[in-house]
Amino acid sequence: MLTLAFESSAKAASVAVMRDGALLGQYFQNSGLTHSRTLLPMAEDLLRNLELKLTDIDLLAVSRGPGSFTGIRIGVATVKGLAWALDKPVCGVSTLEAMAQLGVAAGEGALISCAMDARRSQVYNALFEIVDGAPRRITDDRAIAVAELAAELKAMGRSVFVVGDGAELCCRGLAEAGIECRCAPEPIRYQCAWGVAACADMSRAESGADLAPVYLRLSQAERERLSRMEGAK
Amino acid sequence: MYILSVESTCDETAVAITRDGREVLADVISSQADMHALYGGVVPEIASRSHVEVISRLADEAVSRAGIKKSEIGAVAVSYAPGLIGAVLVGVNFAKSAALALGVPLVPVHHIKGHIAANYIAFPELEPPFLCLAISGGNTMLVDVRSYTDMRVMGATRDDAAGECFDKTARVLGLGYPGGKPVDDLSRGGCDTAYKLPRAHVEGHPYDMSFSGLKTAVINIVHTAEQKGEEINRADLAASFSAAVSDSLVPRTMECLRELGYDKVAAAGGVAANSRIRSDFEKAAKAAGVKLFVPPLRLCGDNGAMIGCQGYYEYLAGARGDSSLNAYATMEL
Repeated sequence: MLTLAFESSAKAASVAVMRDGALLGQYFQNSGLTHSRTLLPMAEDLLRNLELKLTDIDLLAVSRGPGSFTGIRIGVATVKGLAWALDKPVCGVSTLEAMAQLGVAAGEGALISCAMDARRSQVYNALFEIVDGAPRRITDDRAIAVAELAAELKAMGRSVFVVGDGAELCCRGLAEAGIECRCAPEPIRYQCAWGVAACADMSRAESGADLAPVYLRLSQAERERLSRMEGAK
Repeated sequence: MYILSVESTCDETAVAITRDGREVLADVISSQADMHALYGGVVPEIASRSHVEVISRLADEAVSRAGIKKSEIGAVAVSYAPGLIGAVLVGVNFAKSAALALGVPLVPVHHIKGHIAANYIAFPELEPPFLCLAISGGNTMLVDVRSYTDMRVMGATRDDAAGECFDKTARVLGLGYPGGKPVDDLSRGGCDTAYKLPRAHVEGHPYDMSFSGLKTAVINIVHTAEQKGEEINRADLAASFSAAVSDSLVPRTMECLRELGYDKVAAAGGVAANSRIRSDFEKAAKAAGVKLFVPPLRLCGDNGAMIGCQGYYEYLAGARGDSSLNAYATMEL
């Protein structure tokens, strides 16, 4: 089974092709150029180099969030266009679950904290544990203050391996709170399409029409409106 | 040739199937106006979220209503500028990957050129050259349509778009969003000379317009009356305002038409639905002995068919986008 996966949830963007769980190729770009310009050409180039056609693909996959609202939408809209034209199924994957794959490097039993910079002094985060060589989820995806995460980890009393584009930010905060943590080294720190492909599963696939981003946050206008309505009560 | 066209520059998601530019087989539009009404204006993030939710279903519905197979689509046209960037990105990225996967050309279309092209759908006999007044919530410009794809801006607003001015006026009069229709409805019973409102001129640029002074004047009238505890006649103010907008648009358009020597003038965009502007245009065109083209209401607002129509002519002219096509918030015509 061939999977074509897209990742565009933060500054870097990547595309990967996986055959039956093995990575055939990945194109990763962390140039700061807009994903709208780079994402689809990466897929086109990668497939051409692999001597594959879009019609050969069995499953499309995309990181559906959390992350940059615009970045996620570029990935999701791209995959929706492909799915629509090809009549192929799509698997939307949690950005945090996809990056947890990087935590396998920390070894069996390791506690993995996935972290993205969510601004407003928060990180998008989920905790995983490496069991039988694969990440197993401990918490849901959430937007959480680093201090709150530190308190949670302190209660668990374990050291933690931190991955994701927010790893440095998260580690700094955790270290200040006295949590023993290791920041994933640069080459295996950032979420990438390989992780998305590795998490994608035909049994969880849906139609492109049903695929929806997961933002974990309302828009600013909605938040402000809700707080005004709360205030008026 | 069948074209699949996509429009998502503001608060309407639209997908259409057109044949050879002028024949509309399906034009599916999902409007978010009710959602944005809660906020008194378009919220870009909410608009973008909504576009990505509905776009695949709209494309499915367009193809099914048109009664064609996806494999019969000959090109994909997309409105790629100008607009709310997060919103435009959704349509552009969907359209790009659909074109790539279908193996057909991708045709980028300027949103305003699409509005002008709505006239070709409404009026099969219309061909360039003609002068077009493009008036919407985001743009106000006089365009010399020299050919289907070669256009020149003769004049434009220096500040607010005419539609923006209607929305602000509606808001200050306590009417809903979008403001065009409620202001129009309210103005019908009003006296259009009851309030003295400015008609701005831009020195040395006879075809340029300005609406910020008019907007401010309306706001001042309402606020001053509030402070003094006086009642304003809302219908009179709406009528006086509509007349001022029309006076800023119609005489300029007719003057520009005389200079160009064309015998055809058209209007495009959401504000072209305004009844005062329409009737003033009709009178002016009749007096000048020129033909006037104003598309029906449903073609004045954002829609996918107009992008498919313009996309066809852009396709014939050789315009192509590739998988690196980007979306742009602003772009010259």
